[in-house]
Amino acid sequence: MVQDVEMKDQTTPPNSISSAVPLEIQQTAAVVASLKDIAALIETGAYAKEVRRIARAVRLTVALRKKLTNSVINGFLDFALGPSSEARARLAAYVAKDDEHGMEVDTATSGGQSSSKHLLPEIEIYCHLLVLIFLIDQKQFKQAKAFSSASIARLKSLNRRTVDVLASRLYFYYSHSYEVTGDLAEIRGNLLALHRIATLRHDELGQETLLNLLLRNYLHYNLYDQAEKLRSKAPRFEAHSNHQFCRYLFYLGKIRTIQLEYTDAKEALLQAARKAPVSARGFRIQCNKWAVLVRLLLGEIPERTIFMQRGMEKALRPYFELTNAVRIGDLELFRTVAEKFATTFNTDRTHNLIVRLRHNVIRTGLRNISISYSRISLVDVAKKLRLDSANPVADAENIVAKAIRDGAIDATLDHANGWMVSKETGDIYSTNEPQMAFNSRIAFCLNMHNEAVRALRFPPNTHKEKESAEKRRERQQQEQELAKHIAEEEDDDF
Amino acid sequence: MDPKVTEATQLFGRFKAAIVRNDFPTSTNLLSQLKVMLTGFKSLPPLFEDTPSSVHELTLARDIYEHAVILSVEMEDQDAFERDFFQLKPYYTDVGGRIPPSPQEYPILGLNLLRLLVQNRIAEFHTELELLSSAALENPCIKHAVELEQSFMEGAYNRVLIARQTVPHDTYVYFMDLLAKTVRDEIAGCSEKAYDYLSIQDARQMLLFTSDKELSEYINEEHPEWEIKNGFVYFQKAKEVAPSKEIPSLQLINQTLSYARELERIV
Repeated sequence: MVQDVEMKDQTTPPNSISSAVPLEIQQTAAVVASLKDIAALIETGAYAKEVRRIARAVRLTVALRKKLTNSVINGFLDFALGPSSEARARLAAYVAKDDEHGMEVDTATSGGQSSSKHLLPEIEIYCHLLVLIFLIDQKQFKQAKAFSSASIARLKSLNRRTVDVLASRLYFYYSHSYEVTGDLAEIRGNLLALHRIATLRHDELGQETLLNLLLRNYLHYNLYDQAEKLRSKAPRFEAHSNHQFCRYLFYLGKIRTIQLEYTDAKEALLQAARKAPVSARGFRIQCNKWAVLVRLLLGEIPERTIFMQRGMEKALRPYFELTNAVRIGDLELFRTVAEKFATTFNTDRTHNLIVRLRHNVIRTGLRNISISYSRISLVDVAKKLRLDSANPVADAENIVAKAIRDGAIDATLDHANGWMVSKETGDIYSTNEPQMAFNSRIAFCLNMHNEAVRALRFPPNTHKEKESAEKRRERQQQEQELAKHIAEEEDDDF
Repeated sequence: MDPKVTEATQLFGRFKAAIVRNDFPTSTNLLSQLKVMLTGFKSLPPLFEDTPSSVHELTLARDIYEHAVILSVEMEDQDAFERDFFQLKPYYTDVGGRIPPSPQEYPILGLNLLRLLVQNRIAEFHTELELLSSAALENPCIKHAVELEQSFMEGAYNRVLIARQTVPHDTYVYFMDLLAKTVRDEIAGCSEKAYDYLSIQDARQMLLFTSDKELSEYINEEHPEWEIKNGFVYFQKAKEVAPSKEIPSLQLINQTLSYARELERIV
């Protein structure tokens, strides 16, 4: 669901070979050149065993995504893998042959520099990733499916920590290509096997990604039981990627909601919505929808600002009206809203949750009655709640009794006279209650501060040596690039 | 046909006959033999191998487990029900169109929902519910269970009791009876909090007893703290939150000291 929203803004119209041929060639050459830079980055990363550089390479690639064309891919593959190597041949089947202009670029750029050198597995996997992204962007999902399976098979035979970053991206697109074609169930076994491999190799990023993909896979088919069993048994560690962590929280929230653990669910969903980058609109809408429902189920009324967030008003509209019905406690209105937006709720797969809400509507209505009247007959209660059943008064009596037991209202029933007597709300300030509430808030703030302090990161070795001017320049440049591309990466990820 | 399949079919015939005769020892005995036999078939879950007789084998195995589930209800054995149901479930969810759907599917799924409700396993109830299509939710057997859960959550217990008369399937009666007991406990719990007192007659009606004697036995057993006096049942009220008479000084000192410590750390 989330992915569908995301993909729409990612896919570019297939690049047409326009009449402006020279410009086209220029562009192609420029893109191939930047890809070569990326390849060089991966190489250094691989030799120096610096995962960080490879992660950066992936980010840079995403920025180029919209500029990829057949000729670019072919040109780069020839350069990176060598025109006649075995690895090149494996990829060739999936990328369409070049148009004539592309060929010129190829010969011009690749020129004897690459073919003989030893091929790094990182570069090979990177090529796989590039081709896969390209296929998905071109909407050749069948091809992408076949190709991703082949890449995964190749990946299984490699065991290098520097490949992990690339591998986790590859897993993601692998699952994505199957999801788009609607065959997600097929790869479940494979994903589980990959997760096991990742665990054995201590590839935490891979584990994180695969766990999320598996959860997504299960939840796609509403297999909440299996998802929870996997989630509770999979090893947990500190999150490596913010995106993966957001997703994890979202899935966790969904599972918890279905299992009626609303407090936990609310926490997870709100955190997911807060942590998700601003550009991930589809994902945040989903989080908000679920969070609204969970809060309603908890008996809270979400603030109006939640529904007025920029770019979400329309998507959250049905949920806003639903909230309104619950807030008023009007069963009739609730029923109309539920029917009016039935299709939305069905596509969001929240229909069952909304059925659960009925009970909360009654509760709120009852609470309103109990606040307004000090004594009211059960007949009137039934009428006000608009209970439509064979015996509304008996129903009302039972419902009120249960509400009293659950602590929703403070009242007593008088069976002989058939009325409900609300208790006077005592002076809360004569008890220790306010002090306890105050204490818990202070504790929360102090705890928050302490956690913030603990979360601060200090770069290693800052106190030991002053960095040289050159090093500093390099670092600053890297930081700038990072800042620039983080936004783009987020764009891509959600 | 494969001799093993023929043998299993024959045994299954005897098993069905035993169920009809209500001969429980024989039928459980035959059922264990059948289950052992089923392990020999490769076309069954989780292997799902495509053999020439796989359709026949799958249908047979599903039939056997469906009967096993019904048998466990008749024997009033909830653990056996759970076991057999989980063995049966893959035949509904994972066969992927290899065999046509069973007419027993919805009644049995509904029965399982009812069981979860009776055992008060609401989380699992909802997990199972998510697996059902919207068409399935319209089925009377499923709908029955779903509506029961709703009435139960709302507290409309008399609706639960009325539902007993409208069971969609004979096997449901066993669980509905169990549910009635759960409902009684719920009502007792609610009344305790909601009423100061009730006349014995009203209490008897509400707790669904036919005689005053049953009522007093129930009170003695389950709620000895209730008091029967002058034809009324008095419930013991939980203690109200009393206004605090004195300032909890020790606690306050502790709290203030801890604030001071934390503030020191910040500044």
